[in-house]
Amino acid sequence: MNANHPVVARFRERFAADVLSVEEFRGQTVISVKAPRAVEMLKSLRDDAECPFDMLTDLTAADYLRLDAPERFAVVYQLLSMLRNERLRVKAYVSEARPEIGSVSSLWGNANWLEREVWDLYGIRFLGHPDPRRILMPDDYEGHPLRKDYPLKGRGERSHFPKYTAEEAP
Amino acid sequence: MGLEKLLGDGILATRVSALVNWARQNALWPMPFGTACCAIEMMATLSSRFDLSRFGAEVIRFSPRQADLMIVSGRISIKMMPVLLKIWEQMPEPKWCISMGACASSGGVFDTYTLIQGVDQFIPVDVYIPGCPPRPENLIDGIRKIQEIVSKERLWDAKHGN
Repeated sequence: MNANHPVVARFRERFAADVLSVEEFRGQTVISVKAPRAVEMLKSLRDDAECPFDMLTDLTAADYLRLDAPERFAVVYQLLSMLRNERLRVKAYVSEARPEIGSVSSLWGNANWLEREVWDLYGIRFLGHPDPRRILMPDDYEGHPLRKDYPLKGRGERSHFPKYTAEEAP
Repeated sequence: MGLEKLLGDGILATRVSALVNWARQNALWPMPFGTACCAIEMMATLSSRFDLSRFGAEVIRFSPRQADLMIVSGRISIKMMPVLLKIWEQMPEPKWCISMGACASSGGVFDTYTLIQGVDQFIPVDVYIPGCPPRPENLIDGIRKIQEIVSKERLWDAKHGN
């Protein structure tokens, strides 16, 4: 989708104070926004009269540790309008001090598990999420391993298990 | 021994351990712990082309209580390790373990926070099979090595709960 598409123009007009930038790269448009009103913004895109983004194809996050970005984390929403066959990417920047953003699981049902995955691996809280548990790592796991400052080899989680030898039958 | 001559046809003199080990080594009942691509090779080993039943080990048991050989085939994550340990606990003695492939034996290329770097840290492994994944011939070789180990077991030792 081009950055001069009417739906982008409408979006910029309505949320001018919260839009950080609109960029187009090889025909893909990325809207960067501030996090606090993200749910309202995404709802307006989903319910757009001309080009409704009725499908959330992916929800993920990025960690911009030591990189040039407005905040450390970005929650990335990949939207698809099945009516107009248009795609749009929205990045909502979340600070390291308060890693939280509103949940969109009430807008798109599939966001439920995707947001659980982002919480599990990046530690970004989704306010209003109906079931904010971990989804991939064990329930008693501590830490969020896809953060760039998490040690690749872990913090000893992989060696904390009982040991059995051939001599002592369990 | 010559004893058979005195006793006539149908009587065989042997050691109990030799008889029991002979029976055990030719009727291994594997518990497949397949978590990755090694399990695909294990399935190939069991099916008709490679036919593990030639070596008496084709009766795959999905209940650990009926199995005596655990084949760990695939990478084991920290979320799966408690399951592996519970299944190992549930298998009755005597039992043996094959660590199949690079991941089960050492973590393979996955030196990360979530992968167990070799199941032998936590359960006793009798035979390691190298490969990524090993071919069915390698697994058959591993089963033959287990059979060798079984044939040398003594009935009265710790492995049998005594």
